[in-house]
Amino acid sequence: MPVLGLIAIGAGLAVLAGGAAALGMGLATSRSAEAIARQPEAAGKINSSLMFGLIMMETTAVYALLVAILLIFVLGGNA
Amino acid sequence: MELEISLYPKPFEVLGVNVGLSVVVAWCVLAVVLAALFLVRLYVNKFQMEPKGLQNLLEYVIESMYGFARGHVGLYAEFVAPISLTLMIYVFFTTIIELFGLPPATEDLNCTIALGLCSFIMVNVTSIRFKGVRGRIRNLASPSFIVFPIKILTDMIAPFSMGIRLFANVLIGGVIMQLIYAVVPVLLPAALSAYFNVLHIAIQTFVVGLLSLTYIGEAVE
Repeated sequence: MPVLGLIAIGAGLAVLAGGAAALGMGLATSRSAEAIARQPEAAGKINSSLMFGLIMMETTAVYALLVAILLIFVLGGNA
Repeated sequence: MELEISLYPKPFEVLGVNVGLSVVVAWCVLAVVLAALFLVRLYVNKFQMEPKGLQNLLEYVIESMYGFARGHVGLYAEFVAPISLTLMIYVFFTTIIELFGLPPATEDLNCTIALGLCSFIMVNVTSIRFKGVRGRIRNLASPSFIVFPIKILTDMIAPFSMGIRLFANVLIGGVIMQLIYAVVPVLLPAALSAYFNVLHIAIQTFVVGLLSLTYIGEAVE
């Protein structure tokens, strides 16, 4: 029999991945700002590669949130 | 308070067969969009040399799409840009229907994974058309044949990753709006819905286009 409290703790732990994703996004954005300041003419290329990286990092956070939601509403809903 | 969250589409019966509400919504949206595009096509015949009004907007959209595609796939933009724009229009309009109170069609995993598979087919067709079957295999085996299985795995995972990403983003946008409605039912939801229901969808549309173009760009380089 699943325990609701433990499910809630698990969901909270899953969302912690969002913090790591935010850290990565912050690092990438700060580096790209530095790079654009150094070479303003390369801004277009830097922006597009930054965008791709940000999407990949955002995916991590979104997967974590999805896992948390699944834990609460699917596993917890059946309890 | 009950949140309405389901991984499965709401049931909807057509002639006694359960097809799911999202399928019906998707077809209705598609009918409206196709009708609108048909009118636009009639309008294109009356284009003038000096653009004004709607013609400006249409030319701007098409030009920027070609520019966007050229940045990622280079020479093959002519072939890729129309398909990619179609994918983006589909995602945008089937999701923005959320504003009218209907469940968005992309809140259904079947729909988004199908879109991911479309992009997978696009990648392989483009690559084989311009590089040939041998070129495609050589691309998968570059820089060394050791990476061949890993590249196959990456290509196979890509559509599912794309589908789950879009699904989760749309689902979570809806969940957050429901939570906000539950806490502050007046005023605040109106302001935040501009982000979660409009801007967020625009970003996701852009992401879908960017990812499909990037995968194609990797396959044809």
